[in-house]
Amino acid sequence: MNKSMRRRFKLIFLISCTIVMLLMGLTVGGASIPIRHVFHVLLYRLAGIQLPQYVEVTTVGLIWNIRLPRVLLSFVVGSSLAVSGSVMQSVLKNPLASSYTIGVSAGAGLGAIIVISFGISASFLGMFLMPVFAIVFGMLTIMLAMVIAKRVSTQLSDYSIILVGMILSVFITAMIRTLASKNASHAQQILRWQLGSFALRGWVVVGIVSGALLLLICCLLHDVKEMDVLTFGDEQASAIGIEVAKTKWRLIMLSTMLTGVAVAFVGMIDFIDLIAPHVIRRFFGSEHRYVIPLSALFGGLFMVFSDLIARTILAPSELPVGTVTALMGAPFFAYLFLKNGAKKRREL
Amino acid sequence: MIRVSKLNCGYEDQHVLFDLTFSVKSNQFLMILGPNGCGKTTLLKALAGLLPYQGQITFNNTDIQTLKKQALSKKIAFLSQKSAIYFDYTVYETVMQGRYVHFKKTFFKEAAAEDHEVVQTYLQMTDLLDLKDKSIKELSGGQLQRVFLARVLVQEPQLILLDEPTNHLDLRHQLELMTYLDEWVKQPDRLVIGVVHDLNLALTFADELLLLKSGQIVAHESCETIDLNVMNDVFETQVVAYMKAALTRWKR
Repeated sequence: MNKSMRRRFKLIFLISCTIVMLLMGLTVGGASIPIRHVFHVLLYRLAGIQLPQYVEVTTVGLIWNIRLPRVLLSFVVGSSLAVSGSVMQSVLKNPLASSYTIGVSAGAGLGAIIVISFGISASFLGMFLMPVFAIVFGMLTIMLAMVIAKRVSTQLSDYSIILVGMILSVFITAMIRTLASKNASHAQQILRWQLGSFALRGWVVVGIVSGALLLLICCLLHDVKEMDVLTFGDEQASAIGIEVAKTKWRLIMLSTMLTGVAVAFVGMIDFIDLIAPHVIRRFFGSEHRYVIPLSALFGGLFMVFSDLIARTILAPSELPVGTVTALMGAPFFAYLFLKNGAKKRREL
Repeated sequence: MIRVSKLNCGYEDQHVLFDLTFSVKSNQFLMILGPNGCGKTTLLKALAGLLPYQGQITFNNTDIQTLKKQALSKKIAFLSQKSAIYFDYTVYETVMQGRYVHFKKTFFKEAAAEDHEVVQTYLQMTDLLDLKDKSIKELSGGQLQRVFLARVLVQEPQLILLDEPTNHLDLRHQLELMTYLDEWVKQPDRLVIGVVHDLNLALTFADELLLLKSGQIVAHESCETIDLNVMNDVFETQVVAYMKAALTRWKR
């Protein structure tokens, strides 16, 4: 079997897993609903096909108003975090980079927390106030991280950017905690948000977030070739004909926006952005024309899975989804770090 | 073909090149020689348009600063001494990246059939055809150097700038590379400028030598006419005596 055939098989497998996972997201839960009923409800809502007698009206509400928006939202948020992670890794030439490890999600979180705890409101921004704050603070954090890392070493490629990002993350998280404890009235809201949740979001939020995120991902697809070349270093990329500064700026901007929107509407969810691109590269190679769209697919799948665990494992109470991704992600991160370290030692 | 006048160049805290003026005609293989830190790499990077500079560099009577990035990369290619590899690309994918400026101007910038043909040709030429599906992370230093060389060649430039291209290459591949470049440069409107440390290679393959010391030109002459004793001064050691000693042994 040749390479492109194998790739096609893996792709079909990934897509089937995604579909199965989405359906599981709809059937499994506090009340488990047979898959047949799920199909009936979907056909009823989407195509207006008459419901059979045995499907109750409450099931329609549960599927259409609660589970489906939740599953879709977790899918697009997972996708955008994964895509943002792959972009960061390419631009910073570092397989350990992600919006979490370089502090973007913490920064975005701080932006959103400021809105919550100071009760800031700007009527012309409406529900976009939080995302705007999150994006701006996320941008500020990554810029700060890059400036400091450049001082440590002129090559952004080494671990300095990760170290600086981690330090910033810890510092910003401490600031968030300070804000939370100062505002006892908002503490619960802040904590819930900090841990991330997809619970009880209506179709409006789902629509806005999905629209924004799909648009951003499409914009990024325009730059897949540039991302490939950028992994070899700025100088090489420039010699090959890429406007390095402009392209990098655009990519960082777009991926921060992805993280910002996701974080602002859903909360801080870690590690998906780090893991998804790695898994995809392992099976589909490093070319970003595969990495970007397939990371989106895998990130979405993984997030739906995490959310499924979050809401079923301790049912009827719900675990924050951020906890689930971190529980699975942290060991994976450690494994990557150790593997890279071992490789370095062998080369010496 | 390329004309450099009053070139001053350097980095934030260090002025490296001082008032360089020289020109090279087409179909020449120019090699730059000089001790460590004399500004060889800086000069190459300035010529490649990778560093800001004062003065003027014109390529075929066009000031390179007036050219857009993509237009410049269609004319001038640069093989860097350092290359960072963090992700697993295959040899084929890596070489294909050199076609970037030739890709279709569609949304996804796909490679056309012609791009695949060109890549195939140069993979064969650089002896990489058998390795084309291998990950670049699994290659030896010499194989990797050939991958990057192929990536420069597929750019189909008129001027190739090479920063120590024979690094990591075994003798056979050093000679093959130099022989190939020697043929490449003979076709119309082409020029090769390379930095090397190996005097033997330089004297065997170069048409012209440019000797640099402390950011200034000590000599720029054809290989036939150059007074080799100037090397002693440039490298501050008895280069000529060593070379002669080696030659006597070879003759035995």
